Amino acid sequence: MGIYDVKGESDAVLVERVLAGETDAYAGLVARYRDRLGRYAVRMLGNVADAEEALQDAFVRGYRSLARCTDPDRFGAWLFGILVNRCRTLGKQRARRHNLVVHNEPAVAKAAVAHSEDRDATREAIEWAVAQISATNREAFLLKYVEELSYDEMTVITGASVSALKMRVARAREDLRRLLAEVESD
Amino acid sequence: MTEGNGRLERAIDALKEPVQLGHTFDQRVMAEIESGPEPRAWAYRFWAILDWLKRGRPVSVSPLGGLALTAGIALVALLGRSMLESEGQSTPVAAAAYGSVVQFVIVEPAATAVSLVGDFNDWSAAANPMQRMAGNGVWSVTVPLTPGRYRYAFLVNGSIWLSDPSAPPTLDDEFGRPGSVVTIGEL
Repeated sequence: MGIYDVKGESDAVLVERVLAGETDAYAGLVARYRDRLGRYAVRMLGNVADAEEALQDAFVRGYRSLARCTDPDRFGAWLFGILVNRCRTLGKQRARRHNLVVHNEPAVAKAAVAHSEDRDATREAIEWAVAQISATNREAFLLKYVEELSYDEMTVITGASVSALKMRVARAREDLRRLLAEVESD
Repeated sequence: MTEGNGRLERAIDALKEPVQLGHTFDQRVMAEIESGPEPRAWAYRFWAILDWLKRGRPVSVSPLGGLALTAGIALVALLGRSMLESEGQSTPVAAAAYGSVVQFVIVEPAATAVSLVGDFNDWSAAANPMQRMAGNGVWSVTVPLTPGRYRYAFLVNGSIWLSDPSAPPTLDDEFGRPGSVVTIGEL
């Protein structure tokens, strides 16, 4: 596998090269979007292992269906849409599996928080609180406030209306505010 | 900034911190890609053509054709409006409309704060706080609204979302919590 310096090459150029048969050019797109999309997947799914699975799946699906990316300059947004769907699917699978094993996850998480160092405790409290928000609201919140997308961009990625997304973001904010206050008061 | 907002902002900053994926992640992705089929350039052209066909584009119409088109659009709009009215979806029972100012009311004797949130204020809890009417647990707020269909809910004590018991519920199921619909017609 060659080493690709992706500086100066637009998404459209890299997509064109991949479609022309230069499979290795896709490594440039992976390197360009890995960190940002990886962060979203970790925050959405709550752990690195699941996030890597979802992200790898998204990159592979993106490659196999690259011909359907009809606006290659917006490859990143198109791939983000695939990742959002993979996170939804994997999140549902993990939720079903998890329910069979852990019946009181909040209590377990709070116990973990109570026994950690301050900085770790703060981080774990935030992760715990984010995990308590419904997946639909969490998705909208992360896209808006962490990935800083516009509502128009979010509409393209999630398929939801601007109005629905605004409601989800507002509810996520209220939930998160309440949950963080609860954790702090414990 | 309130304490709650400060906590939220700090949480958002923490969530923006970069995450570390496994150092072999890229290699694993490329290995899986190289083990499967390649995307086809001809398929790209097929989807590009399909996308082009789906896009809107300017259309040239002769004066006579334009007249016929306008008449057709007006007929469809009239038929559509009469069909919607016959389905009874536009009953603004949730609120009393006075011109374009709408009064929203809910009875919540135990509440300490109630806000009206909806499409019209971007679901902001701060935009339309409701006022308690003396001694009877009734909360009220008036909002100027232009004609249209709006989704809304009541946010009680900053965390409890309630639909309006006297209004139609939201007809779609994309929201995880209760909501109501109010339709303001041309007055």
